[in-house]
Amino acid sequence: MEQLVQSPQTNTKCYHCGETFADEIVHFQEKDFCCQGCKNVYELLQDHELGTYYTCDVNPGISPSLQNFDYLNKPAFRDKLIQFSNQDISKVSFNLPSIHCRSCLYLLENLHKLDSGIVKTQLNFGKKELSVWFREQEISLGALASLLAKVGYEPLLSEESEGNEKKKRLSQQTQLFIKLGVAGFCAGNIMLFSFPEYLGIEDGNLKYLFGYLNLILGSIALFYSGSDYFKNIWAHIKLKKITIEMPILLGVLVGYSRSVYEILSHTGAGYMDSVSGLLFFLLIGKWFQQKSFDFLSFERKYTSYFPLVITKIMQGKEEMAPLSEIQVGDRLRIRNEEIIPADAILIKGKSNMDYSFVTGESEWVAIQSGNLIYAGGKHHGEMIEIEVKKDLQQSHLTQLWEQQAFKDPSFKAENWENFANQVGIYFTIGLITLATIVALYWIQVDPSKWQNSVVSILVIACPCALAISYPFALGHGVRWLSKSNLYVKDIQALERMGQVDTVVFDKTGTLTLAKSEAPNVYLHRDLSENELDILYSLSLQSTHPLSRRLCTYTQSFGDRKLLSISSFKEVPGKGLEARWKELHIKIGSAKFLGINPNVSPQDFFSSESQLFIQIGDDALGYLDFPWENREGVEFMLRKLQHHYDVFLVSGDKTNHAASLKDWFATEDHMKFECSPMEKMDFIKQLQAEGKKVMMVGDGLNDAGALQQAHVGIAVSDDHLHFTPASDAILQGRSLSRLPEFLNFSKKAITLIKMSFLLSLVYNTIGLSFAVQGNLSPLVAAILMPVNSISMLIIATWGMNIYGKRLKTN
Amino acid sequence: MEIMYLMIFLSLLMAIGFLFAFIWFIRSGQQDDLITPGMRILNEDKKTNN
Repeated sequence: MEQLVQSPQTNTKCYHCGETFADEIVHFQEKDFCCQGCKNVYELLQDHELGTYYTCDVNPGISPSLQNFDYLNKPAFRDKLIQFSNQDISKVSFNLPSIHCRSCLYLLENLHKLDSGIVKTQLNFGKKELSVWFREQEISLGALASLLAKVGYEPLLSEESEGNEKKKRLSQQTQLFIKLGVAGFCAGNIMLFSFPEYLGIEDGNLKYLFGYLNLILGSIALFYSGSDYFKNIWAHIKLKKITIEMPILLGVLVGYSRSVYEILSHTGAGYMDSVSGLLFFLLIGKWFQQKSFDFLSFERKYTSYFPLVITKIMQGKEEMAPLSEIQVGDRLRIRNEEIIPADAILIKGKSNMDYSFVTGESEWVAIQSGNLIYAGGKHHGEMIEIEVKKDLQQSHLTQLWEQQAFKDPSFKAENWENFANQVGIYFTIGLITLATIVALYWIQVDPSKWQNSVVSILVIACPCALAISYPFALGHGVRWLSKSNLYVKDIQALERMGQVDTVVFDKTGTLTLAKSEAPNVYLHRDLSENELDILYSLSLQSTHPLSRRLCTYTQSFGDRKLLSISSFKEVPGKGLEARWKELHIKIGSAKFLGINPNVSPQDFFSSESQLFIQIGDDALGYLDFPWENREGVEFMLRKLQHHYDVFLVSGDKTNHAASLKDWFATEDHMKFECSPMEKMDFIKQLQAEGKKVMMVGDGLNDAGALQQAHVGIAVSDDHLHFTPASDAILQGRSLSRLPEFLNFSKKAITLIKMSFLLSLVYNTIGLSFAVQGNLSPLVAAILMPVNSISMLIIATWGMNIYGKRLKTN
Repeated sequence: MEIMYLMIFLSLLMAIGFLFAFIWFIRSGQQDDLITPGMRILNEDKKTNN
C-alpha cells in the first residue's frame, strides 16, 4: 500500500468528499483524497467491502470529524439518549444533519459491517434520523457516536427538551389519526344501523338492537375521539375563559344526551349519526389545519430569512458565501459590529463581545483567542477570525430574531388575532343566548323541534373561520414576499405592514448606493505603500459602507498586506481610529478629526460621502466617494406618495436637500443632520400624531428608529449586519418594489376581512334555517367544516394569486 | 329475519377487524417515513459473505 503526498493539481476533486484540494493530495490506491481523514474512511469502507458506497453517487462522502464523544458514556448523557435498553441490546436515535444522498443510506444501514457491536441500523431519510440497535458491552455509546463522526456523519446532539417535544408531537399526530379513524368507523356504522330508521322500516326488536349498538358506538366516538375537546374546554373553564369551541361541544352534548334518553326510553332513534358524523368532520378539519400549519412552518425555516452573506476564508482567501452554507469547521472573518452567525471559537484577535441581543446585558465581554463565542453576539474591535463549532440550526441566532421581547408588547395588542379572540367571546355568549331563546320558543310551540334547532344553531355558527383565515392568509403572504426578497419576521409584522400610512426613509445606504467608481481624491500628497497597507488594515475592521469602499480603494493599488493594528475604536457615525506601531491613525468626518471644515472646498455638503484621513500628525485631506441613487428609487418614491406620507431622515447636511427636493412633497418632509437618537424621536413624534409609521433604514445606525416604528424594514446588500430590531429584511435591489409589497400586504388584510364577511353571511343564512328547526344537525355538521375549508381555500388561493402577480411583476 | 342478527354481528366484526388493522397500521409507524423505503429498495444487497 503505497501512499505519497503530491503537490496540488488543478481541477481534481477528492474521491471521497468531492472537495477541491487545498494544500496537499493524499494518493491512495490510484484515488486522490483531500485529506488523511477522507482516505481513512475510504480504506475503512474498502476493508469492510462497502465499496458500493461510491457507486450510488459521485463523491458522496463527507470529510470526517475527529470529535471525541467519550463524554456520552457518562450516565447523565447516556440516560438521556438511550431510548430502550435490556441486558443485551440498547437502542438510540441520532440526528445526522449531513445525510444527503442514497449512498448515505447505504453506508448507514450497513453500519453493522463496521463494528460487530452494532446489531441493526435504520434510517429515516426525511427526518435525517438514524436509529441504532447495539450491544453496549461491545461498543459504548461514545464509541458509536465517534464511529459515526469518523465516517463523516457527526451526530447532532440536540438539547434533550427539543427531542422530547418532537416525539410528543409525533405521538399526538398518531393519536389524532387513530381518533379520526375511530370516529369515522363509528359514524359509518351508526349510519348503517340507522338505515331502517331512514327508510322507515318498523321492526321492534331490530330497532332496539340498532339503538343500543348506536349508543355504544356513539359513546365511543364522543368520549374517545372527542376527548381532546373536553380536555381543552375543561382547561379553559378552569381559567374562566370562553373558547370558540365551546358552542360546538355544547351542541354535541345536547344531541348526545337527547339521543341517550330517546334510545333508553324507547321513544326514538336519537341523533347518534349526527353526533359521530360531526366529530368525524371536526377531526378532519383539525387534521387538515395541522397539516397546513406544518407546511407553513416548514416554509418559514430560518434559511429562507437569511440570504445574507458571510466572509469565509477558503484556502487563505476571502470568499463570500451565503449564510446557509456555514459548516462546522469553517473559518469566518468577523468585522467590527458584525454579528456572530453561529457558535464558534475565537481563533485570531481579541474581541469585546456585546451579548445584549442574547442576554439583555449591555456590558461587553472581553474574549481572548481560544475561547468560545456564542451566536448572536455583536463583535466590537479589530477584525477577528473564528472557527465555527456548531451548525447554524443549533445556534440560537435563529430564535433570537423570532423573539418578541424586542418589540414593545403594546404593538401586539392591536392585531387581528386578538380581535378574533375578542369577537369570539362575544360571539360565543351571543350564540348560547340565541340557542336558549330558540329552545324556549320551540318547547312552547313544537317540542319535537327544539333539539334539532339548538344543535344546528350551535354547530352551524362555529366561528372557526375567524381562526383559520388570519394565519393562513398572512402565512402565505410571508411566504410569497420571501420569494421577492422581502423577508418578514412573522405574520403579525406583515399585518402591521398593511396598516401603515406613513413611510420614513433613511438616505445613505438605503436610497443611495455606493458607486463603484474610484473616489475623487483631495489629498495633499500621494499615499505610500505602507500607508495604503495601514488604511487597508484599518478599513477591514469596520462594516461601515465608507470603510468598505476605502478598503476596495486601497486594493486597487495592488495586493495589500494585513498589518496588526491595535487600540481599534469605532465611533458610530463619526469614524475609526487605531494605532500602528507609534502612529495614531484616524479616519472619518472632519469633525471627528478635529479639522476645521472651512479648510475644505465649498462642496462640503455630503458629510456621509467624505472620508478624512489623518496619519500621525499629518492631516492628509479627504477622499470623496460618489454615491448614486438606487435604481428605480425616484419612481418608487413618486408612486408611494400617492397613498402614503413619505419622509426622509438623514444624517446629511441640510445643503444636500436641493437634489432631493423633487422626491419629497415639501421641505418639511425632509429632516437632515439627525443622530440615530433624533431619527427615533422623529418617528415617535409622527406616532404621537396618530400615524402608523414604517421605517426603512440600513439597520445599522437606524436600529432605534426601526424598533420604534410600527414596522421596521432593514435594507441590506450583503453583509450580516441586520438587527433583531427590524421586522423585515429587504434586499437592496428589491427596494424599488416597496410600493408593491405594501400593496400586497394591504390586499392580504382585505382578503381576511372579506372572508370574515363571507363567513358572517354564511352563518346568518345557516342560522336562519337552524332557528326555524329546518336544518338537520347532520347537514349542519357537514356544512360547518365545509365553511372552514372554504375559508382556507379562499385564503390560500387568494394569496397565491396575489403572490404570483407579485412575482411576475 | 333471525339471520339479520348473525349478519349484523358478522358485519360489525369485520368492521372492527378493519378498525384494528387501521390502528395497527398507524401505531406501527408505517406512515412515519414515506421517503426512505423507496430509496432503500434501490440499494442492491451485495452477496452476503456468511
